[in-house]
Amino acid sequence: MNAPVDESYSQRLARRFSRDALALTGFWLIILAFVLAALAPFLANNHAIVRVADGQISFPVLRSLEPIEWRFLINVPLAGLIYALRRPLFRNPQRGGLIVAVVVIVVQIALAFVQPYNDVTNDRTRPATFKLMPLIAWSPLESSPDALVGPSWNHLCGTDSTGRDVAARILHGARTSLAIGFVSQVIALGVGVTFGALAGYYRRWVDMVICRFIEVMECFPSLLLILVIIGLSDSQNNMIVIMAVIGLTGWTGTARLVRGEFLRLGGQSFPQAAQALGAGDLRVILRHLLPNSLGPILVTATFGVASAILLESSLSFLGFGMQAPTPSWGDLISEGRRFIDFAWWLVFFPGVVMLVTIMSYNFVGEGLRDAVDPRLQVK
Amino acid sequence: MTTYILRRLLLVIPTLFGITLLTFLLIRLAPGNAALIKGQTGENGGHAMTAEVREQTIKLYGLDKDPLTAYGDWLVKLAHLDFGQSLVDHRPVLTKIRERIGLSVSLTGSALVLSYLIAVPVGIAAALRRGQRTDRMISFVVFLLYSIPTFVAALVLILLVAGGDYLNLLPMYGANSIDASEMSGPAWAWDRIKHMILPVICLTYGSLASISRYTRVSMLEVLGQDFLRTARAKGLSERRVIFSQALRNALIPIVTVFAMELPALIGGTIIVEEIFTLPGMGQLVFQSIEARDQFVIMGVVTISAFVTLFGYLMADILYVLVDPRIRFE
Repeated sequence: MNAPVDESYSQRLARRFSRDALALTGFWLIILAFVLAALAPFLANNHAIVRVADGQISFPVLRSLEPIEWRFLINVPLAGLIYALRRPLFRNPQRGGLIVAVVVIVVQIALAFVQPYNDVTNDRTRPATFKLMPLIAWSPLESSPDALVGPSWNHLCGTDSTGRDVAARILHGARTSLAIGFVSQVIALGVGVTFGALAGYYRRWVDMVICRFIEVMECFPSLLLILVIIGLSDSQNNMIVIMAVIGLTGWTGTARLVRGEFLRLGGQSFPQAAQALGAGDLRVILRHLLPNSLGPILVTATFGVASAILLESSLSFLGFGMQAPTPSWGDLISEGRRFIDFAWWLVFFPGVVMLVTIMSYNFVGEGLRDAVDPRLQVK
Repeated sequence: MTTYILRRLLLVIPTLFGITLLTFLLIRLAPGNAALIKGQTGENGGHAMTAEVREQTIKLYGLDKDPLTAYGDWLVKLAHLDFGQSLVDHRPVLTKIRERIGLSVSLTGSALVLSYLIAVPVGIAAALRRGQRTDRMISFVVFLLYSIPTFVAALVLILLVAGGDYLNLLPMYGANSIDASEMSGPAWAWDRIKHMILPVICLTYGSLASISRYTRVSMLEVLGQDFLRTARAKGLSERRVIFSQALRNALIPIVTVFAMELPALIGGTIIVEEIFTLPGMGQLVFQSIEARDQFVIMGVVTISAFVTLFGYLMADILYVLVDPRIRFE
């Protein structure tokens, strides 16, 4: 294949990556999972999306949204919009900055006033002239009288021991599981990049100390460490604690990698040129060295997300998982295992969804690694 | 080379200290300790205890001393291989660990050997057929296995082959049958092996991905090198080029991967021993965490970390011993 001469680093990565069918499939599956998770209240809810009754049109699904969901559903598209309009907006940087700041502040203030409705009406049974129900007409916490019923048109993935719809719970649980994977890796990445950059840039005793610290951390099996921290801490096992603990025990690989990249790149002439031009340490690290080691960092982060989701499921199994109303996939599987003899759907469906997600991350990681690693290129 | 090994050995000392310090801080700073005392004084609705008992508890946990002294005391004890006593049954921690470590070591060891035996040939096969269907199939299967949580695999295996729902080939749990003490030597050993099959499988399949991927990359790197072209040019058969020239060089880095697998395997034993109710270290530490048995947790965590450190050390030393190209002055 002839590579275009003027392609950038990221273009080259994208081209090599998209040659790998498995990695590409994995990538789109992950995007799909995130979209489904974000839209969960519109896909699995006992509130109708559109309802016409007594000549009035209403959108009951909006009443079921929590304030945090409003924040998410408005802020993410807003960020996308600002990014898409960045060129016309920032043609005049001052005016653009002002517009963006005003819009963002106004929206956040408006969002701060959103209150939960606590609306418990059930549109599935409420009569109406016309109603458009979500694909799964059940809310994740809603109990139906049919407990432990197998998959049917009414309950696509069956119901659990208290009659809750498994499909709805999987969809809403996606948020917890995906968030844990993503956020814990952001934390791990932050810590790992910081330590790795410090060690690789300043070398000498800084490197010595940080390397010892990395080695100490690597001697502890992370599951053991996490169990001890969560098991001994008295706090309610909330999502933040679990994310933080997974992140804070899983950064050593990234740190090693960044250190290695910095050591390698530090010997080249471009960081020295930047320094000679008067750039400070922080600028050299952030603007010159870090962008050049981004590829390998991305690879470890992708694999890290997969292992974080796995770790969280192990924690759920051992009874140290989340105690939140919306459970993670791991929680669903652990709950279902008591009935595995006759209610296979309780473990099967969440299990398959989790498996596909973790595999997708792994294939994306594998594809990225092949794309990044120059030694493995086919000549 | 001797200097290198000596220097490597010296670097172990700060790491050893780091391990003990981190273990100590972890247990000492865990908010649960303070809460335990509070809970027992009745503030959280628990049973109020007399001032005397409270004082004893504080003393037992070493909370009456300032952290530095407490750490120092613990270190001195450690140096004498005294890990303290269990707060639950007041037996020495070391005795409890000694009773259980054999089972965990044999579990981890068998899993490690088994995963090498499977993963290395698989990785080589993938490298030799790089980009072809075999390569893609292998990578698909090993990642599929890697993505299955251990406990799910264990549940499914138990459901299918143990206990009698479908097949009743293997025992569901325990390290031995109830009547094992009356068995003769070989019968006992066979009984133990049957009990270990499922746990070892559950520990093994997850490591296949990393070891086989590592083998594949290592093999690919060697395959791209010039000396192979020379070997082919000399007229060696493809078979000899691969197996006597390439493989030897590719295997060097793989020999040392076992150390990287150790932490994951030790973590895995916690889950596997919990599911199959095997009386090993993993079960011990899990029960101790639930009971907040401080000194047992500290003992198991420290020993696990030491074992892993020893693994890394072995790997590093092995690496220079195996590879004659590495020379140190």
